[in-house]
Amino acid sequence: MKCGRHSSSVTLLILVLIGFSGCGAETKVTRVDEGVVTDLSGRWNDTDSRMVAESMVKEALEYPWLSNFSQSKHRQPVVIVGTVLNNSHEHINVGTFITDLERELTNSQKVTFVAGQGEREEVRTERKEQAMYAKEDTQKSPGKEIGADYMMKGTIATILDEADGTKAMFYQVDLQMVDMESNAKVWFGQKKIKKVIEKKRTVF
Amino acid sequence: MSRPTAHASARWGVCVSAQFSWLVLIVLLSGCGGSGNRYLLVDNSLLASDYQQADAVIQKAEEEYGTKSRVLYWMDRGMTLQLAGEYQRSNEMLEQAEDEIDRLYTRHIRTESFAFMTNDNALPFEGDPYEQVMINVLKALNYASLNQWQDALVEARRIDHRLNVLTDRTKDKAAYRDDGFARYLSGILYESAGDVNNAFIAYRKAYETFEASRSWSRTAVPSQLRADLLRTADALHLSQEFREYQQLFPDTTWKTIEEHQHLAQVIVISYNGRAPRKEDLFIDLPISMDALQLVLINQGLSQATGQQHRAADSVLYGLNGRVVRVALPKLIPQKTQVPVDTVSLIPEQGAPVTIRTELVQDVTALADKALSERMVGIATKAVARAAFKYSAAEGATIGAQHAVGGDAGPWVGLAVGLLAKGFAVASEEADKRSWRTLPDEIHLARTWVSPGVYRLQKAPATGVATSSKTISVRAGESAVVIQRVIQ
Repeated sequence: MKCGRHSSSVTLLILVLIGFSGCGAETKVTRVDEGVVTDLSGRWNDTDSRMVAESMVKEALEYPWLSNFSQSKHRQPVVIVGTVLNNSHEHINVGTFITDLERELTNSQKVTFVAGQGEREEVRTERKEQAMYAKEDTQKSPGKEIGADYMMKGTIATILDEADGTKAMFYQVDLQMVDMESNAKVWFGQKKIKKVIEKKRTVF
Repeated sequence: MSRPTAHASARWGVCVSAQFSWLVLIVLLSGCGGSGNRYLLVDNSLLASDYQQADAVIQKAEEEYGTKSRVLYWMDRGMTLQLAGEYQRSNEMLEQAEDEIDRLYTRHIRTESFAFMTNDNALPFEGDPYEQVMINVLKALNYASLNQWQDALVEARRIDHRLNVLTDRTKDKAAYRDDGFARYLSGILYESAGDVNNAFIAYRKAYETFEASRSWSRTAVPSQLRADLLRTADALHLSQEFREYQQLFPDTTWKTIEEHQHLAQVIVISYNGRAPRKEDLFIDLPISMDALQLVLINQGLSQATGQQHRAADSVLYGLNGRVVRVALPKLIPQKTQVPVDTVSLIPEQGAPVTIRTELVQDVTALADKALSERMVGIATKAVARAAFKYSAAEGATIGAQHAVGGDAGPWVGLAVGLLAKGFAVASEEADKRSWRTLPDEIHLARTWVSPGVYRLQKAPATGVATSSKTISVRAGESAVVIQRVIQ
């Protein structure tokens, strides 16, 4: 009887230890709609990038600089996206955010959007190649690029506070529209996001 | 009523096999904390300046590290990949280490309990605070080497945040709660990216931290930092601060930011020597007079080392049954023989520029401080664990005796006692894990040179072969040069 009791407790201990040893979670993949908010780590993510770009471009295009320009020049303004400086605590893929801004500007149909600095070089190289290798009637001549009237540029900054496993991350995205001729800032937009990330100190 | 022998043996067999299974299971699950010979191989590769090979050694040993030391694996690879010039991959490794450390904030009771029953090697390695700061330092240097200064500044901000949290958490002002070198490097990065205001703030914090930790960090305020403070205070027109620093550093010569404008900056980071390693310090506590004699005789006569010694001790103390073993980590410094590095920048035309590095971080002193700060906790836990193991072994012995009973009882008890107490001694092992691919010391130099192409040459005094590396810098640009000296 004693041995039986002892054996049982030892067996129980073994089972508990096996339980303690942990089982690796299997990988599970679920397809979700691109609009679904996926806040996993609390860091800047695709949702932040998309939402900020959408709301800020919408706001930018509602301000009078657009109508003032259209009325005086009788055409849509030409906009280029310049540098968005990452002044945050994270290695934010600024390129994705710039692409989101470009998409929103282009799709708004209220401005003419031209390729930025990085893309221009590729197009110019292609034009040079065309001049050498393409049929004459299909070649695109140089000197016909559209100069931008305005440049949209800005910063992404963060303020981070943390204590006892709780982080408060405050993102501030500042964008401005600068008149390329006069350097005048015709629009200044700001979007703030605040996230609180809480971590448990102990779990089973 | 006497029990049939065969029956008793069968039941006895069941009990012992169950006990044995328990022991085997714990041994299997306890994990191996030994780092084998990999660091020896890494050191040999570093000595031969074969950094790809050093990284290959670490990569090959990934399984050896185990799941509990993933952070350490990523840290080691981050360092070897940086030395190999693969900065992007180095950052990928270090990013994983940082993410995992973040996740390890949440403790798992089952893991902690299991470690309490075996040893601290069963706990996931998350590194000491200074090692965690070094992750961001290495990442910042990687980004700077890639000329990605904005990303380097992200790391500077992370360093600032990490150190602020550490300062808030650590009430003892004599403890490691800030990092002079990490602050100083942040300042250099800010200034290199043109942010003089943040550079000044970082320099000032670095100066204060170097001063505050001087007693234990074995690192004086770098002379270059004094010049940096004067230059940035002057540039920001902080007249009061400038006057204070002038009074503090009357002999420091410095140039204004305007004088540097048409020059290029070269920052030399030198990793010298090897970080300290840890060994087991076994303390055998006898709880009877004959056990005391046994411990004294064993310590006096034993010639064996390492695993042999531990196996012999486990059998001896298991047989005696009255010895409790406690294992504590002991730091073994591996001091560098290179007090100062001299690097020459040889231009295509003109006279060479010679720069001398100076100590900015004594990693051994940091490791020493970190271990001493944790030692009370480690020792308390080790003693409690030893007491638990001893009690469990005693319980198993008595339980087995009672379970079998009769004439076989004492023998069964003896066998179970031997196994259980032997295991208690054998399983006791200190957590000796640390970021051993770090150097013993970090030296730094920064200088401003005329724009152009330079060939780097290390001074023969260091005994290192002449480097064939060249750098090309334009006015206003900065270049980071990282070198490893393993002596």
